[in-house]
Amino acid sequence: MKKSHLVLEQVSKSFPRVETDGVTHAVTNINLSVHDGEFVCLVGPSGCGKSTILRMVAGLIPPTLGKITLNGQDINGPSDECGMVFQKPTLFPWLTVENNINFSFRMDGTLDQHHAEVERILKMIGLEEFRTDYPGQLSGGMAQRVALARSLITEPRILLLDEPLGALDAFTRMNMQDEILNIWQQNRNLFMMVTHDVDEAVYMSTRILVMEPSPGRIKEDIVIDLPYPRKRSSEEFTDCRSQILAALDF
Amino acid sequence: MSAKQTTTLQQDSLGAQTDWLAGASLSRQELAELEEKRKTPRQLAWDYFLIFSPLLCGLAAILEYRLVPDAFSNDNPMTYFYLLVIMLVIYGLKLAWAFFQRSRNKRQAYQDLLYLAPRKAVLFLLLLAYDVLTLKTGILTQPFIPPINQIMNIAWIDREMIILSSLHTLRLLMLGYVIGVALGLVTGIFCGYSPRFRYWLDPVIKFLGPIPTSTWIPIIMVITSNLFGGSVFIIALGVWFAVTVATMTGISNVDKSYFDVARTLGAKESQLVFRVAIPSAMPNILQGMTQGMSSACTAIMIAEMMGVKAGLGWYITWAKAWAAYDKMFASLFVISLIFTAVTKLLQAFKNYVLRWQEGGVA
Repeated sequence: MKKSHLVLEQVSKSFPRVETDGVTHAVTNINLSVHDGEFVCLVGPSGCGKSTILRMVAGLIPPTLGKITLNGQDINGPSDECGMVFQKPTLFPWLTVENNINFSFRMDGTLDQHHAEVERILKMIGLEEFRTDYPGQLSGGMAQRVALARSLITEPRILLLDEPLGALDAFTRMNMQDEILNIWQQNRNLFMMVTHDVDEAVYMSTRILVMEPSPGRIKEDIVIDLPYPRKRSSEEFTDCRSQILAALDF
Repeated sequence: MSAKQTTTLQQDSLGAQTDWLAGASLSRQELAELEEKRKTPRQLAWDYFLIFSPLLCGLAAILEYRLVPDAFSNDNPMTYFYLLVIMLVIYGLKLAWAFFQRSRNKRQAYQDLLYLAPRKAVLFLLLLAYDVLTLKTGILTQPFIPPINQIMNIAWIDREMIILSSLHTLRLLMLGYVIGVALGLVTGIFCGYSPRFRYWLDPVIKFLGPIPTSTWIPIIMVITSNLFGGSVFIIALGVWFAVTVATMTGISNVDKSYFDVARTLGAKESQLVFRVAIPSAMPNILQGMTQGMSSACTAIMIAEMMGVKAGLGWYITWAKAWAAYDKMFASLFVISLIFTAVTKLLQAFKNYVLRWQEGGVA
């Protein structure tokens, strides 16, 4: 396990509007402190800045105001400390499954030292026999597993998941939830996931941040203290769900 | 009652079939056969007729050429005869192979040949008609439209000149094309990736782009005394334009999320260009290269016809000046051959580079 401590201090982010002269305040005044071992879910209606927070943590966009630090160090730009998985698998279609997975090793030129890791992760996601296939030949679930493997392979301190299961069908989705949980439980690194699905959030996370829109802010910070594996039909589970739904005004 | 029995029986046999289907590992071809509608005897007979028809038509062309008296003298008459015989023998061998494969339950070769057969038959018929209209009757005015036998003979007699001209054309084409593609890639990538570059190059492209490359030839001929260099420039210019525009479009349309993903995976700025932007724009780039090739082929012919004193384009105008119409036709065939070969080569390259695109179907 890698020690990590991610802190957001009074973070705001605004975007210029496309059609008019104004700006949109995506998130305002976010204060947050999360550690390794936590599985944090951000839930909330669309437009409340969940993805914006993830993209700022990943270093893809800088905050307008405020400070984001990982272990006391400012985050300037993307690095392999933060892996990110998007809603679409966004696999590089011109690379085979294997070359998608070892992409980051080829970027820093360390592929030779890491063949064993590539093998291990191919086996873990169960796609060894598809290694020479191109992404166009994969199903949605397979493609998302490859995307997950591609981000996990560098063992990032933080894994950011931006609605990674949003485009999958219900059964694949439940399988993938367990797979992601397995991966998290192996290393207990910090996972932060955006989802629209309250059930999914309660099933997977140790802590849920309920957000509200315009401007985006954290409304409630709820700890889910249930043992894994969780039962969707148990009383505690439904209680938690009701609590989250209530926080979302449903 | 009996009707009901039949239905259950049918269902049973259908069920057995389906079971067999689920267990069997079908090849794609077997599946196609399974799904192909059963053909009536009439359709089958028609298929047989079609696949044998090139043999009949080829035989007809040969007999016509050998038996019908010529309208005027025909030197060295066996060349065209051999051509027909070789074409016929090749088709015969393919036919034999197809039937041999079919007897081993591999129908692909047979299906392919069946698809091509009507075209081959019509080709023989066209050759026959052409021979009637030229050599046998002289209906097509002589000597402007020579019979094929004469074209083939003159191509052989003048082979040294034709080969030299072809090599010259190829050299000019390759030189201009390679330079054009290389420069086009560089400017296209820069313009696609950097808005500042695009700011300066856009007006140049907008102004120069619409001018057809061949329009430059008179200007080049006035400006430079080095016609070879001038022609390289003209060919390269057309290719450069096509490749630049296509590459620019490709690079600036790269899905931005690829860059996000690559950055979170530790890609540096240069790697974003070479490992993400360029491969992702490859379909566009290759399309530009194909377009550039066709513009280069046009430009080279015009350049050679107007100024350069060598190459196949020059050969045609030279033959025309000497009223050697058979040579003109011979060089047309050679030009077609060369450009077809070049285009095929480019296509093969394209298929190889874009092999990841065929994976649309699982």
